[in-house]
Amino acid sequence: MSSPRRILFGRNPRRTAARIIVLAVVCLITFGWALTPVRVHGISMEPTYRDGALNLVNRVVYRLRRPVRGDVVAIRLAGPSVLYVKRIVALPAEKVAIVNGVVEINGTPLAEPYVHNRGKWDVPEVTVGPREYFVVGDNRIMRVADHDFGRVDASRILGKLVF
Amino acid sequence: MRRGLVASVAAIVACAAGLWFWASSGPSGAREIERRLNDLVEELNAGTTEGMGTIARVGKIGQFFTTDVIVDLGKGSPPIHGRDTLMGMAARLQPRTAAFVLEVADVSVELREDGRAGVTLTLMIRQRSFGSGEESLDARELALEVVRSDGEWRINRVTAIDTFR
Repeated sequence: MSSPRRILFGRNPRRTAARIIVLAVVCLITFGWALTPVRVHGISMEPTYRDGALNLVNRVVYRLRRPVRGDVVAIRLAGPSVLYVKRIVALPAEKVAIVNGVVEINGTPLAEPYVHNRGKWDVPEVTVGPREYFVVGDNRIMRVADHDFGRVDASRILGKLVF
Repeated sequence: MRRGLVASVAAIVACAAGLWFWASSGPSGAREIERRLNDLVEELNAGTTEGMGTIARVGKIGQFFTTDVIVDLGKGSPPIHGRDTLMGMAARLQPRTAAFVLEVADVSVELREDGRAGVTLTLMIRQRSFGSGEESLDARELALEVVRSDGEWRINRVTAIDTFR
C-alpha cells in the first residue's frame, strides 16, 4: 500500500515539483495572456450565446491577423475584467446602416444566418473609422434602446471568442 | 532529494510572494484612492438596503465628493452640478432600490503633480427584478478626477465614457 507521502509527492518528489512548477507557469501564461475565461451575462448575443455560458477569449489571434466580419469579439471597458461580447458586422472605412432590422454594408444587405429573429431596428448610416469596427449582438428581437452596439475602437478589442 | 524538494517549494513560495508584493505595491496615493472608492461603493450598497434618505447616510456619502463636483453621465442626461444637488438626488432614493448592488473593477489611478489624480474604472450594476427575481448586469466605464481636499481624496468630476460610438 502506498504511503500518503508517496501519493502526494510521487516516486520522484523533485520531478513532481518540477512538473507542478511547469504546469503552474503554463496555466499562468495560457489563462493570463492567451486564453481568458469569460462568462456571458445578458441576452444580447442570444441565441448564439445564452446567459451564463462559459467561453474563452483568444487574445493572441489578432496579433497574427486583423479581425474579420462575423468574428465574435470581446471588447474591454476600463480593463479586462468586464467585457462586452459582440459580433463584428462592418470593417474600417465601410458604411453601415440598419434598415428595418437588416444590416446593410455600403448599401448591400448583409446575410446573417446567426440572427434568428429581427426587430424593426432602424439605425442611420455611419462610416466606420479607419481604426474602428462596427459591432452588434445577435439578439435583434430585443428593444434597440436596450442593446449596446456601434462603432468601437480597435484598441478595445481584446480578442476573439474561441467557440 | 528532500533538499531539492524544499528548494523547489521555497522557490515557488518566493515567486508567489514576489508576485503578490508586485501586484499590491504602488504609490501610496493610488492605494488610498482605491480604498476611498471601495469605501464609497460599500456606503452606496449599504444605502440600497437601509435607504439613502437618512441625513447621516447622505452626509457620509457627500464626504466622498467636492462641493463643486460635476457628474456627467452622457447620453442625453444633463450634467449634475454640485454636491448639494447630487446629495439631494441621493436622498430621494428609497429603500426599494435594494434591487441593485454596485461593484467596481479595473481601477486604474494616475497621480498628477498638481495634487489631482485621474481614475478610470468599470462600474458594474447588478439589478434584481422584484417581480421576476431575474438578475441583470450592466457595466459602464467611468473616468473620475479626484483631488486632495482637507486631507482626503474627494471626487471632483465623474464622466461616463462611451464604449460604443
